[in-house]
Amino acid sequence: MWTILTSKVQKALWPRGASSRPFHIGREALLLIALAVLCAVFASQSEFFLSERNLTTVLRNSVDLSVVCAGMTIVIILGGIDVSVGGVLAVSAVLIGRAYQLGMPDWVVVPIGLAAGAALGALNGTIIARTRVPPIVATLGTMYIFIAVLFLVIGGVWISGLPASLSFLVLGEFLGLPAGLYVIGVIYALSWYLLRRTPWGQHVVAIGCDEGAARLVGIRVDRTKIQAYALLGLFAGLAAVLYVARLRNVEVNIGTNIALEAIAATILGGANIRGGTGSLLGALMGVLFIKITQNGLVLIGVSSLWETVVIGGLLIVVLVLDAFETRRVS
Amino acid sequence: MNDPLSQRLWFLFGLLLAAGLAGALLSPHFLQTSTVGYLLQYVPVLGVLGMAQTLVMLSGGPGIDLSIGATMSLVGLAIAAMFGLGVPLLLACALGLGIGGLLGAVNAVLVCVLRIPSLMATLATFFTYSGLALALTGGSALGGFPDWFGVLAQGRFLGVPIHMWTVFVPLAIVLHVLLSRTRIGSHIYAAGNDERAAFLSGVKVWRLRFALYCLSGVIAGLAAIMTLSWFQAARPDAGEGMELLSVTIAVLGGAHIFGGIGRISGTVLAVLIVTTMQVALQLANISQAWQLAAIGLLLVGSVVADNAVGDRLRARLRRAS
Repeated sequence: MWTILTSKVQKALWPRGASSRPFHIGREALLLIALAVLCAVFASQSEFFLSERNLTTVLRNSVDLSVVCAGMTIVIILGGIDVSVGGVLAVSAVLIGRAYQLGMPDWVVVPIGLAAGAALGALNGTIIARTRVPPIVATLGTMYIFIAVLFLVIGGVWISGLPASLSFLVLGEFLGLPAGLYVIGVIYALSWYLLRRTPWGQHVVAIGCDEGAARLVGIRVDRTKIQAYALLGLFAGLAAVLYVARLRNVEVNIGTNIALEAIAATILGGANIRGGTGSLLGALMGVLFIKITQNGLVLIGVSSLWETVVIGGLLIVVLVLDAFETRRVS
Repeated sequence: MNDPLSQRLWFLFGLLLAAGLAGALLSPHFLQTSTVGYLLQYVPVLGVLGMAQTLVMLSGGPGIDLSIGATMSLVGLAIAAMFGLGVPLLLACALGLGIGGLLGAVNAVLVCVLRIPSLMATLATFFTYSGLALALTGGSALGGFPDWFGVLAQGRFLGVPIHMWTVFVPLAIVLHVLLSRTRIGSHIYAAGNDERAAFLSGVKVWRLRFALYCLSGVIAGLAAIMTLSWFQAARPDAGEGMELLSVTIAVLGGAHIFGGIGRISGTVLAVLIVTTMQVALQLANISQAWQLAAIGLLLVGSVVADNAVGDRLRARLRRAS
């Protein structure tokens, strides 16, 4: 059993043997080329696109999605999925907003947001691990519940005029680079370390490859699952903190699209929806791809309503290409 | 009574009674004959979508169609646009069903030919279809239908809405017979229960699933026509939330998310439960937030309950064979 599992895990950790396919271009390189082409197209249509100010805006807009996407990648590698992550973000954000309104200082508010996110994530994980409900169904259900909580707390009115004390996290500059870049860097370095350099990360990959085998070799599957979903929730809570820091308000429809965007970015980045494989770097580039597309479409004068069509179409294309790839390999 | 599936039906009956009782306690207006008509007004649209979702789930794979609501919006808009261009309304409706079938066929190709997991494939088409519906109309509704068209969903016969008589009940009967009395039905169950065994005994598993995804698109078209007749307008967000509601209804009705178990009668009962609950909460003036929460709890709760029942059923089947 050990050998079956380890061979599968090895295949997942190092999926493309460089020796067997010397001319293979990795997903990240492919995405980089696609990003360059995309930027070239937008730059040729709009002079403003490559300006420092616009690129900083794109980066600032990508921060929350990037953070969520790191957690989503880990959950998808685990063989799960979480469509309620927008709801988690919304509930965290609304709690943060209310806490600020009650006059609490930053050092109380931020832990509240993070703890709320982690707790809701752990709730998802517990339902999924203990009752064996398919993750998509469980998180669809909890999404309804989280959105209901949002409505109840927010009462149909925007929370606005929140303090700007944390804005430097996203809007500030440090050593000449936008501060958001450092936040993304820290989160991705941490996630990469957890996933690729700790036993816990190996367990995540093993469960994604073959849950039954992972159980048989003694990996605590349920606990790892709950931890992974809680980590995603924690990241969603952090995204909520960053969202409030950036915009200083909480909208009624906060977080509506973030789950779909995060899933799309992760899949674009090369994660296998069946679990086992995925790339944090690829996911980050997927996020950039989505955010640059959104920004560029507006700049060249296409209605922002077309965003969803473009992202959806892109997702279909990538899925189809992946399907041909798997067919060719097998 | 010992059969877990009929236990499920009794359980659903109890739940329906409980929902009705809760409605009566919550609002003095609930226990009136007009409530029944009001309630049945909502049933057909949700009901046909729930049945389509049940069929897709039954055939296994695991199968799910998350694009069903977006397909419904898009077909509604297509019919309205064709009518606006001078196509006779009935022809436009017929073409709309065809378009629904085509949109379903896109899912079918992605899932059954390219073997992309249904969840991902239909999530992507959900994105694309709902985006198209919004982008093509700029978010505004299309209207201008003749008055006679409203008869389908606004007219009554013996106090029951016409679309109940002409669409929901016939479709439920046809699908029930299809599933329980025909060879195709037993093939669907076989494909959902054990794909390999079904394949080895000559069931064309993937062709069957292909057809069911197309059928799901056509049924979404039916739902679109009923909504058009009801509101006399095609809204780009007409099907919003329907994907989740239809999954909730199918699962609550006893369809197993991995296929092979489920009945149309369960789905019908589940639709009645969900609409009774919604109408009761509406009449009692309880905020939409609680309605959402109730649906969420129902979905999670029914899957948890279903897994318990499903496990027992599978164990029984294994022992029997």
